Amino acid sequence: MFTTIQLAKGVQLHVHPTTQFKTVNFSIKWRAPLTDEAAAARTVLTNVLQHSNAKYDTTAAFRSYLDDLYGTVLYFDTAKRGNEHTVLLNVETVNDQYLKNANVLQEVLQTIHTSVFEPNVDEAGQFKEAIVNREREMVVQRIQSIFDDKTRYAQQQLTKLMRPNHAASISANGSLEAVKALTVADVTAAYHDMLLHDRIDIYVVGDVQPDEMATRLKQELPFADRDAQPLEAIPASTTEFEYVREQQDMKQGKLHIGYSTSVRFGDDDFAAMQIFNGMFGGYPHAKLFMNVREKESLAYYASSSYSGHYGLVFVLAGIEAANEEKAYTLIQQQLTAMQQGDMTELELAQTKAMLTNQLKEALDSARGQIEVYDQYKELDEQFSIDTWAARWDRITLDDVARMAKYVTLEKVYFLSGKEQE
Amino acid sequence: MEKITFEQLDETLYYEKLDNGLDVYILPKKGFSKTFVTFTTKYGSIDRTFVPIGEEEMITVPDGIAHFLEHKMFEKEDGDVFQKFSELGASANAFTSFTRTAYLFSGTNHIYDSTKTLLDFVQQPYFTEETVNKEKGIIGQEITMYDDQPDWRQYFGTIENMYHNHPVKIDIAGTIETIDGITAEHLYTCYNTFYHPSNMLLFVIGAVEPEEMMDFIRNDQASKEFQEPTPLNRHFDEEPTHVAVKERTLHMDVQKPKVMLGLKAKTVHLQGADMLKHELAMNIGFELLFGRTSPFYTRVYEADLIDESFGQDFSLEEGFGFGLIGSDTSEPARLIEEIQQELKAAESALPFTAEDVERMKRKKIGFYLRAMNSIEFIANSFTRYKFNDMNLFDAVPTLEQLTFDDIQEALTSIQGQDQQTIFTVLPMEQHA
Repeated sequence: MFTTIQLAKGVQLHVHPTTQFKTVNFSIKWRAPLTDEAAAARTVLTNVLQHSNAKYDTTAAFRSYLDDLYGTVLYFDTAKRGNEHTVLLNVETVNDQYLKNANVLQEVLQTIHTSVFEPNVDEAGQFKEAIVNREREMVVQRIQSIFDDKTRYAQQQLTKLMRPNHAASISANGSLEAVKALTVADVTAAYHDMLLHDRIDIYVVGDVQPDEMATRLKQELPFADRDAQPLEAIPASTTEFEYVREQQDMKQGKLHIGYSTSVRFGDDDFAAMQIFNGMFGGYPHAKLFMNVREKESLAYYASSSYSGHYGLVFVLAGIEAANEEKAYTLIQQQLTAMQQGDMTELELAQTKAMLTNQLKEALDSARGQIEVYDQYKELDEQFSIDTWAARWDRITLDDVARMAKYVTLEKVYFLSGKEQE
Repeated sequence: MEKITFEQLDETLYYEKLDNGLDVYILPKKGFSKTFVTFTTKYGSIDRTFVPIGEEEMITVPDGIAHFLEHKMFEKEDGDVFQKFSELGASANAFTSFTRTAYLFSGTNHIYDSTKTLLDFVQQPYFTEETVNKEKGIIGQEITMYDDQPDWRQYFGTIENMYHNHPVKIDIAGTIETIDGITAEHLYTCYNTFYHPSNMLLFVIGAVEPEEMMDFIRNDQASKEFQEPTPLNRHFDEEPTHVAVKERTLHMDVQKPKVMLGLKAKTVHLQGADMLKHELAMNIGFELLFGRTSPFYTRVYEADLIDESFGQDFSLEEGFGFGLIGSDTSEPARLIEEIQQELKAAESALPFTAEDVERMKRKKIGFYLRAMNSIEFIANSFTRYKFNDMNLFDAVPTLEQLTFDDIQEALTSIQGQDQQTIFTVLPMEQHA
């Protein structure tokens, strides 16, 4: 699907020429080791780069220019995967073919250059203090707002309990403390560090030619060679079992359960563990949905997710606080049932069909193509949907039961309302 | 079958009205591997007072019933419909809005089987007292979940402030108390009245062969029996143009205050091309007044009165419409003052030029072209537009025609102090 061309050492361009979409999509990913300090500095940096640049030195001027280019979407963001932190620049613009007398693509390529290489800095080459201060405050607010979303808050608390000071619990935004401590010099340093040292992947999806794109991007994004060292694997770790309860002024009970597993992304059993998660709580036909919601009417949502990079499985359910014990017991029973092989061929077939469909559907958006390829290429450079679906297809009920036995209860976190006075 | 080509967009739409009154639209998308199908009834949370099919007296049903009905459609005598879709590798879902209830699936394989499953489950109701009562616990938890979401509470609180009588002010899911009164009989009454094919629209988009799919749907519908369609008779009380409540405050366990200003629209009875033009003009006007390129935005951003949660939006349906502007802010009173000043100033002179309007038009045209990549967007928006007698594919040509004067005229719909209401969410310990 993607043609890969090396633009410089450590800088790869991946192009998918296609007429499926009416737009051209770009995604530039800068990758560096994940630490709290780096995550914080790089997040404020993305806000500062998105605010303005040397050519358009206010947000209003920059946004007006992009609006003029038929609402070209351009935003910086941060993300994490495993022990890697990513700064990303996503750009989407309408294919010139659909516009009357326009040459938007050329201007968009120049704007990408401007956004990355012509920052809004002072004479000393430092980002401007007023902008850094305000954007740092924006990130502070973003981090604090998690408290208002009780599901996200509960999940954050559970992850911190399970893996304190660990890649699994470091936020892609960095911590409040790390963000607040940032200076203009820190953010400026993070900028230069990113341009010079990060491993870079550039994705382009749309009606473009790979060679021509390579030539133009080499011009607009003149990244120098860099040493891209592969990151060390995250060492396995676990914590003692704990059952933690917290109360706030709220109505629903948020039951979050954390399990650990030795099976990680890239392991031979990874595909089998994906199937396990699908059957446990990944879909509306899964054990959790069918039993916690449909049979017992305890919840509106009850699902599981598998974080392969960290070897963690999470269960989330929103319940009436009085049903805490009943729900907890019922969820645990579902895992036990799977460990004992109490599953049907139908459940297995449904899960395989859903996983395969989900992967195929992801390819119907440019962003989906980029994200699926970016993730799975780490497993297999020759990744294709069919080869991956074939791996799922080989999984048997015995395999799933074996996976269920690799899943160990580690922490329970229950957030609920305060007792009525 | 009718074939409609949109050359500028490079899309072809197929349409047929079936004998039972069902509108079927098919849009093949080159290069896509999935097919997405929505089956939507023009029936939502606001349709609570009506004459049931075959009767003469107006009745009012319990709040939250359209949404309750949506949940219950998935359960059949032989089990849960999700199970069937999973077997076919298709993801199914449904949603209820103020004005619509939609059932949908997407899949890359077994498309005819999935389409058949969708048509059958929506057209074969099965409600018993036992299954209805069992659902109350599940929906109760859904309602409780929303109760804990400050943004949702603020959104509904603002709408509630605006309306005296219109049922848009009632939460789509109802409350734990109102859903407790729902019976299987209620569900049958609503189902029989609003799920007649003549009140519904089927949209098929993606990897689909139009002739074959149309034949398949036509045959399926011809094999099923339906009552003769009768005109629907809904009732809405007269709604004054001014807001019902000027200001309200709610305390929740949040870290920072949230404030929202609601603007109740006066122009709410347009349909068709007039509505499309008005709605697009309002969207442009709103964004020029309060969007990220506006002088207002720059001012409040630099005064530290907003953060990334800031948003502005305008919604319009038959019978109601409103603009919303809101943000998390440590100074709700000051932010509200800024918004109100901006609105007041705009009544005498708009803070943008004809050139700004042209730029915003280009942005919106780009938005619609980008949205043509999303088969979910096309199916859902097309249905919403159609239920208001508009055509999604007219949006770009209509945008191209808009002028500064159109924007100015549209904005009069929300002008005036009487149109404004404020809803504030404060942290537990803080008092206004």
